[in-house]
Amino acid sequence: MIEFKTISYEVVQVGEDFMSDDFLIKPEDVETFAFAVDDHDPWYFENPSDSPFGGNITHPVLLGNQALFMRHSKYIVPAGLHAKMQYEFVEPIRVGMRVRTRGKLIDKYEKRGRHYMVTEFATRDEETGAVLVRGQFTQMLFPKSGVHEDARKR
Amino acid sequence: MPASAKVLEAGSELPALSKTITQRQIDCYSGVRPKSIHTDVEWAKAKGFPAPLAQALMSTAYVSQMMVSWLGKGFIQGGKISASFIKPVIVGDTLTARAVIKSREELGGRPHVTVECWCENQDGVKTLVGSASGFADHLRT
Repeated sequence: MIEFKTISYEVVQVGEDFMSDDFLIKPEDVETFAFAVDDHDPWYFENPSDSPFGGNITHPVLLGNQALFMRHSKYIVPAGLHAKMQYEFVEPIRVGMRVRTRGKLIDKYEKRGRHYMVTEFATRDEETGAVLVRGQFTQMLFPKSGVHEDARKR
Repeated sequence: MPASAKVLEAGSELPALSKTITQRQIDCYSGVRPKSIHTDVEWAKAKGFPAPLAQALMSTAYVSQMMVSWLGKGFIQGGKISASFIKPVIVGDTLTARAVIKSREELGGRPHVTVECWCENQDGVKTLVGSASGFADHLRT
């Protein structure tokens, strides 16, 4: 049983591991993502003759949220702002794959009174073990209560 | 000058992409839940924002779309994005993703290109800055 704590700069530890739930990529997931980002490239839907992959693939950034939400498998994450994202796309992602993302907190730091955490990740096809996407992301943690400073800039 | 299939000189621009972001799209991207700055209006306001924020990652999808449309397989296998999110994106904003070729080099015997990319809102304010790269041996356009 997991005991969820509210995420904070103090509670997260450099070196701690994260793991997402596994996830079966379904046609409706691709459809929903395409609507969300307004990208209906035929490579993702129509098995077009000009695709070099021998069948449909998905948006390469489809699983970005699986990486970000790894933290939600250990912590209550009330809010945060995404500061940086690095992606490396290794292999095409396909409908029907069962995928999982694993990651590690590699740094945390304070800058101008704000707290940040840096997580590296790799998303794999659970059946073959092949890495599909890897990278790292930096999240700014909101203060425990109150209004975020960046909100006042809009 | 816009970049076409065979134009890979530094300084060439890729075709820009513009998107006006709706709440429905944010809901689909982030998943609707209470106490979310993306999908809960009151919560977003309580956190000081005028309206729900689009998830920053949505902007990387626009950069990805530009690169896939251009490099195709050379981005799907071996592409990279490095992005910094420097301003919030609010529901209703119109974002334009832009990219300019920064360099071209050989990598493992293959042509490889790097672009400087950014997204800007309807007021011309940059919300994302960064770079993207991939192999230019399977151009689509």
